[in-house]
Amino acid sequence: MNKFLSSAYLAACTSALALGLTLSSASADEWPTNDVRLVVPYAPGGTTDVLSRRVADLLQQELDANVIVENRPGAGSTVGTGRLSRGGRDADHTILMASPGHTIGAAIYPDLTYDPVEDFVFLQNMIDIPNVMVVPADSPYENVIDFVEAAKEENMTFSHSGVGSSIHMSGELFKTLTDTNLTAVPFAGSGAALPALLGGDVDVAFENMPTVLSHIRSGDLRALAVTSAERSEYLPDVPTLSEIGEYNLDQFITTAWFGLIAHSSFPEEAQSKMREALANVMEREEFLDFAEQLGAEPGQVAGEEFKQFIVEDLKRWEDVAEQAGISQ
Amino acid sequence: MENFSEVIEIFFSLDNFLAIAIGVVIGVVVGSIPGLTATMAVALALPFTFSMQPVAAILLLVGIYKGGMYGGSITAILIRTPGSPASACTLLDGYPMAQQGHAKKALKAALYSSVIADFISNIALIFFAAYLAKIALNFGAPEFFWLICFSLTIIISLASGSMIKGLMAALLGILLSLVGLDEVFGSQRFTFGNYNLMDSISFIPLLIGLFAIPEIIEFYRKKALPHIKAKASGAGLSFSELKRCLTTIVRGSLIGVIIGAIPGTGATAAAFISYSDARRRSPNRANFGKGEVEGVAAAEAGNNGVAGATMIPLLSLGIPGDVITAIILGAFMVHGLTPGPLMFQENLSLIYALFMGIMFSSVVLLLVGNVAIKYFSLIADIPKSVLFPIVLMFCVYGAYAVNNDTFDIWVMMAFGVMGYIFNRAAIPAAPFLIGFILGPMFEDNLRRSLLIGHNDLSIFVRGPITWAFIALTVGSISLALYRFISARREARNAAAKSQEV
Repeated sequence: MNKFLSSAYLAACTSALALGLTLSSASADEWPTNDVRLVVPYAPGGTTDVLSRRVADLLQQELDANVIVENRPGAGSTVGTGRLSRGGRDADHTILMASPGHTIGAAIYPDLTYDPVEDFVFLQNMIDIPNVMVVPADSPYENVIDFVEAAKEENMTFSHSGVGSSIHMSGELFKTLTDTNLTAVPFAGSGAALPALLGGDVDVAFENMPTVLSHIRSGDLRALAVTSAERSEYLPDVPTLSEIGEYNLDQFITTAWFGLIAHSSFPEEAQSKMREALANVMEREEFLDFAEQLGAEPGQVAGEEFKQFIVEDLKRWEDVAEQAGISQ
Repeated sequence: MENFSEVIEIFFSLDNFLAIAIGVVIGVVVGSIPGLTATMAVALALPFTFSMQPVAAILLLVGIYKGGMYGGSITAILIRTPGSPASACTLLDGYPMAQQGHAKKALKAALYSSVIADFISNIALIFFAAYLAKIALNFGAPEFFWLICFSLTIIISLASGSMIKGLMAALLGILLSLVGLDEVFGSQRFTFGNYNLMDSISFIPLLIGLFAIPEIIEFYRKKALPHIKAKASGAGLSFSELKRCLTTIVRGSLIGVIIGAIPGTGATAAAFISYSDARRRSPNRANFGKGEVEGVAAAEAGNNGVAGATMIPLLSLGIPGDVITAIILGAFMVHGLTPGPLMFQENLSLIYALFMGIMFSSVVLLLVGNVAIKYFSLIADIPKSVLFPIVLMFCVYGAYAVNNDTFDIWVMMAFGVMGYIFNRAAIPAAPFLIGFILGPMFEDNLRRSLLIGHNDLSIFVRGPITWAFIALTVGSISLALYRFISARREARNAAAKSQEV
C-alpha cells in the first residue's frame, strides 16, 4: 500500500511538474491570444493591399492564428498610421503595412499627430521595389548624362502618380540633386500617368518597376537608370543612378519599401514571435514568386536596422520636401 | 486559328464556368448593397484567386466586376440608394418609375440595357482593342480637358425646370469637390485642419446621403408616403419598349466603350454623359427625371459599356483605367502574366480563352439578373414602415464600410440634410453630382495641360481630337441656347395669344 502510495505520490508529482512545465511553456507561447489585425493604410487594390493580403495569407499559417486584413485609407497613409499610433485595446495584436508614404507623409504633413519613428516598433522590411527612370522610346536621350545636360538647358516635365508618392519624390530628388529644370505633372495614379509618358506628353518618369517593366521589354519605353543601390536582376543592363558618378547622383539611392510595423507598446514576446514568423514567410516559395511578379527584391532589414533605415529615409524626404517647397 | 483547340481546351473547364457564375452572383449581391462596391468585392476576392488557374481567377474577378456594375442599379431603383457610384444616374428615372408602380419594368430595363451594353463593350474589346488603345494614348490632358468641357455642358440639359437652380447646384458641386489636397502643390484646401477631409469628401457617403436619406426624412415627417405605389407584380419591360430604347442603349454603350478605353474617367461619368445625350435626343425629353424608361436604359448602358472597355488599356497597354482593373492587373501578375503589349504575342490562347469567358459572362449576367429581379423586386412590397429603418441601417453601415470610418457617417447625414433641402426647394441633384464628379477632372486637366505645355495655350488646340471636342462643346452650348430662346419665344407667343383671347 505504502508502495502504491509512494508511487502514486511520485506520479502525482511528475504530473504536476509536467503540467507546470506545459503551463509555463504555454504562457511563453501565448501570443497571439487573439486574431491578428493587419492594417493597410490604403484603399483595396493597390500594391500595399495586394502585398498585405498575400503576407496575411502566409502569416496565418506560420502563426496558427487568423490574420485579418483591414483597410484604413486616407490622407496618404497618415489616417491609418495615426490610428495605430494611438494604441488602444488591441494594439498588441495589430500590425500595419508601412511603405514610403510613412516617411514621405511625415515629411510633407508637419501637423501629424504621431512621431513616425518613436511611436512604433519596426518588425520587418518585406520587399523593396526599385523605381526606374524611363523616357519614351522616341526620346532623343539615350542616357542619364544626355538627359541632365538637356534638362539644364530647357524646361522638361516628369509625370507622377500623386503628390507625396515615391514616384513624385524621386523626381523631386533628381531635380534637386542635378539642379535641372524639371516640372512635376501630377496624375491620379500610375494608371493615368503612364499614357502621358507613352504618348510623349511628358519627358521622363521615375516609375515603379512593375508598372513599366513590360513596356521597357516591348520597346515602348527606354530605361535610363534604376534608383536602387544595386542593378536590378530584371534589368541587368540598366545602370543605377548612383553609378553615374556625376551631378551628385551618387546620393540617389531610393526604393519603394514595404514593411510591417506595430505600436510601440507591442509586447517584446510578440515582436520576437512575429519576426520569426515573418522570416519564415519570406523564405517561402509562394512569397518569393510573388515578389518576383512584382519586380521586387525581398526586404533586407528588420528590427533596429529597419528603424535606422526609416530614420534615414525620413531625413532624406524632409530635405527634398523642403527644397521642392512641398511641405505645408 | 491554329491554336483554336488550345483555346477551347483552356476555356471549357468546369472551374471557369463556376468562376463566372459565382463571380456574377457575388457581384450582383454586393453591388446592390449600398457602400459595398464591386471594387471592394474584387479586392476581397483577390486572395482566393491565388490558388486558382489563371483564366478562372481572372474570370471570377471579371464576373464580380460585371455583376457589381448591374447590381448597383437594383437598390438605386427600389430604395433610391445607389449600390455603387455608377448607378447614381440610374435612380434619376429608376426610382420615380418604382414609385409609379413600374419597379419591375425599371429593373428589367436596367438589366437588358446592362447586358446589351456589356455585350457591345466585349465586342469592342475583342475586335477593336488595338485601335481603341491607340486612341487612348492620343488622349492627353488637353483632349481630356475638352471632353470634360463638353460633358459639363450637359448640366445645361440636365437642369430641368430652373436653369439658375441647376447652375447653382452645379457650382455647389464643384465647390465641394475642391475640398482636399491640391493635386499640384499638395496643399490642403478647405479641410479646416481636419485630416478626414484631406482625401476630399467621400463620394459614396455623399451619394447615399443625397438620395436615400431625404426619402427617409420625408417619410417620417409625413408618417406615411401615400404616393408610393410600387408593386413587385408590376409589368415587366415590353418588347416595343425595349425596341424604343434600343438606339439609346447602343449609343450609350458606345459612349461607355470610348470612356472606358481612356484610363481615368470611369463609369459614373459615362453614365451621366450617356444619360444627358439620350435626353437631348429623345422626343420624350420632358419626361426625363420623372420616370422615363429611356433614362434608365441610357444610364445603365453608359456605365456597363465601360466594363469590357476598361480591359482594353489593361490588356493591350498594361494600364489599369480604374481601381478594379488595377486589382485585376494584380491578379494577372500573381499568376505570372504581365498584361501589356507582349501578352498578345506570348499568351494569345489564354487571352482568347479569357475573351470567351468574358462573352459568356454577359449571358450569365442576364440569367442571374432575371433571378435577382424576381426576388429583389419583392422589396417593393415591404411596408415602408418596416423597410425604411432597414434602409437607414444599411445607409449607416454602407457609409461606414467605405473607409471603416465613423466620420463618413456624419458626411452621409450632412448630405442627407442637404438632399432634403434640395428636394424641398426643387433644386435638381444631378447637376450637383456632375459638378462634383467633373469639377476636379476639369481643374486637374486644365492645370496638367498648362504644366505639360509650359503655360503655352496653343496646347489646347493641338490636334484633331481637341478640335472635334471644341466643335462639340460649342455645338452643345448653341443647341441649348437655341432651345432656351425658342422655348421662351413660344411661351411669350402663347402668353400674347391668351391675352388676345
